[in-house]
Amino acid sequence: MITLLAFLFLFYSQENSLQVKNQWMRPGVKGMGTALYFEVENPTDKSDTLYKVTSEVSNMIQLHETYTKDDLVGMREVAEFVIEPGYSLELKPGGYHIMVMKLKSDIKKGDEIEFKLHFKNADSIIIRAKAK
Amino acid sequence: MTVSAVLILIGCQSEFPLNKDLTKQNYNFFNHDSVEISFPKINLGRITVIGFIYTHCPDICPMTTHNMFLTDQRLNNDGIDNVNFVLLTFDPDRDYPSILKKFAQIRDIEFDNWLLLWNTKQNTNLFLKRLNILAISTDSSYTDNGELNYYVMHTDRISLIDRKGHLRKNYKGSTVNLDELYNDIKTLGEY
Repeated sequence: MITLLAFLFLFYSQENSLQVKNQWMRPGVKGMGTALYFEVENPTDKSDTLYKVTSEVSNMIQLHETYTKDDLVGMREVAEFVIEPGYSLELKPGGYHIMVMKLKSDIKKGDEIEFKLHFKNADSIIIRAKAK
Repeated sequence: MTVSAVLILIGCQSEFPLNKDLTKQNYNFFNHDSVEISFPKINLGRITVIGFIYTHCPDICPMTTHNMFLTDQRLNNDGIDNVNFVLLTFDPDRDYPSILKKFAQIRDIEFDNWLLLWNTKQNTNLFLKRLNILAISTDSSYTDNGELNYYVMHTDRISLIDRKGHLRKNYKGSTVNLDELYNDIKTLGEY
């Protein structure tokens, strides 16, 4: 009975908390930068905000967006990503991304790197992203 | 018969809207091994796909590079191995040849038919101007270690150059239609 309750609690918690999926990143050279992408689903009834990402691989990680102006492309830091209740936020090439700068080591294709995503409401979520 | 010939001619011209001779001026660069070369002279006789990047760009430039990499792979799979691929940095203050080489190596790029080019900002800008490519430094800041960090706002571009060193077509580098690029290379090269 206790096991069943624990399972139901776990199932309910997972279904009603932020979900991060489809994470991946690009390869990168030590000392240089790369980008991390993923999708965050928010099935809860409250909005949440991703405001920081940390990792052992870099001390300089920023939330970024790519933008177009006068037929030129650029990127800039943004303070946070808000995920509205019932919606998903997709970080993808050419749009929002996590900029991982000054890499402490090379990241080769196939490497998996751990990142910690910090949200204002939810607990931090740890993900492992594969370089491809 | 005459009408058909005209239609074919119009069709070919529309596929390649440009015909700019890049050989009228000599552009010297250093390749990824720091060897000085003259471009596009070094690639005359071969079709060239050239992309414009900087290695501190984590998003758009890797997309451009990856699109070129995929095109090279597809050509290789079809037995076409005499198309050259070139990446030119518009951030020469940070992208020295050795950096460019590492940028390529970590992406499994083989140097048989790839060149990564560097020159001083002044010389690079001469070539960029010829191809109507802009690159403007923006949003500079200093890291905790006091290192200058900045981004570059730039034209998102891949270009196709024919065997005679003429610029024939431009594409949006990060989002190029890979089928279009592949088919244009085959048409231009008559493969």
